[in-house]
Amino acid sequence: MNAPAGLDLTSIPERIQSEVQRAIQRSIKGVEYFASSGPSLGSTPKDILAVRGTMNLYHYRPMADEIYRVPILIVMATTNRGYILDLVPGQSFIEFLLKRGYDVYMLDWTAPKPEEKHLGMEDYVLDFIPDCVRRVQQDSGETDVTVIGYCFGGVLSLLYGSIFNDGPMKNLICFTTPIDFREMKLFSNFSDRRYFDVDRLVDSVGNVPPEMILSSFEMLRPASRAVGQVHLWENIWNDEYVKAYRMMDRWGTDTLPLAGEYFRTTTKDLMWDNKLYNGTMTVGGRAADIADIKVPILHAVAEHDHIVPYDAARHLIAKVGSSDKEEVMLKGGHVSVVAGANAIKRLWPKLDNWLGKRST
Amino acid sequence: MADKGNDPAAMWQSMIGEMEKGFNSFANQAMASPEFSKVMNQAGGVTAGAQKQLGEMMEKYLVSMNLPSREQMVSMAERIQGIEGQLNEIKAMLHQIHHNSLAPEGGHGTSRPPRTKRPPSEGEQK
Repeated sequence: MNAPAGLDLTSIPERIQSEVQRAIQRSIKGVEYFASSGPSLGSTPKDILAVRGTMNLYHYRPMADEIYRVPILIVMATTNRGYILDLVPGQSFIEFLLKRGYDVYMLDWTAPKPEEKHLGMEDYVLDFIPDCVRRVQQDSGETDVTVIGYCFGGVLSLLYGSIFNDGPMKNLICFTTPIDFREMKLFSNFSDRRYFDVDRLVDSVGNVPPEMILSSFEMLRPASRAVGQVHLWENIWNDEYVKAYRMMDRWGTDTLPLAGEYFRTTTKDLMWDNKLYNGTMTVGGRAADIADIKVPILHAVAEHDHIVPYDAARHLIAKVGSSDKEEVMLKGGHVSVVAGANAIKRLWPKLDNWLGKRST
Repeated sequence: MADKGNDPAAMWQSMIGEMEKGFNSFANQAMASPEFSKVMNQAGGVTAGAQKQLGEMMEKYLVSMNLPSREQMVSMAERIQGIEGQLNEIKAMLHQIHHNSLAPEGGHGTSRPPRTKRPPSEGEQK
């Protein structure tokens, strides 16, 4: 019998040997996988500058002999933990920034307590972010601050920058930040005002449970979790793959609950009325129109983002009032664009190149 | 070596990838319909209501069994969190004191590197 075209029969014993070795490794590593706890994340040395309810402000210890004048405040998304930006040494965005000479602070969130269900958009935009900016100014001794917002942290940063448009924000960087919520098609359908009674939900559960947030993210790609586990089993012999999988899996499932009132406003003002896009958003009675933002702005979007599709993010740069503005589209998904091997090669150097000259 | 077209492992990977894409795309289409939203939210509403009622019943049951309820456990956790928060505040104050003690009068953060860094010139960019 002839071999099919392209199949080298002499390689078959070698391949069988390799597959048998991998099968043995899978069994050994599979046991190790369940017996170990995975890599330690978020371990770049830092000091906690403030803890107030759900708000946590960290300052990372500088790693360069000389730093840029303008400090950076990173505003994390309210649904997830900030350690996605500080995975492990060599794969940490924070470490990268520190080594490149930036002074880095992070506003990270913890789960709001049941009695914090009343926290609303105004608490986040008019209290927590300005409070952290003040503390960064005080700690660094500098007036100017660069703000970086990831996903919904970007939305909060835009709202903050719109309202406090006379300073002290010097530069704004948004990662995968939606402004046109009609274009988040599935989320929009899940929260269809004809069928989704947000008042009833918030009034009955208080804070929106993390399981509900996680399910809604997973529903966007319902097969991916199962397929991810198949890939994990196939690659369990590969330590680097397993390490990367565990880091992302741990972070992905470490979802935070959302404060009830904050969720109510997000649903009504953003998902239903699309007020950020329409320029009619208000927070605590104060107009928040992104056209009022005049500082230099960089928006990084991901080509294969299934959470914030490009159509939901693409109007940001057109709508802000800044003259120094740039959008950069990078290969990757919602998370891989900011963390992991892709980000190291693409986003991080781009950001350093853009921000360095605006940080003096 | 076998080329990718005949490599069983590559074929398997490719098949799994295609299945994933196909299933996700099919599910996304189904979930984009108003009917899906209606059914999902009806089910979600019932679950939230049932959860609330069940929680109230369990609370009564635990009280009758002289066991701590979820609310009491949450309250305990909050007290622990409160203590942790105060420890963090003390830590932050100590950090601030340490920071100030290293700085000259009226100065800021001289224990830290100087804020004099300039961006590398175009030729130096990596």
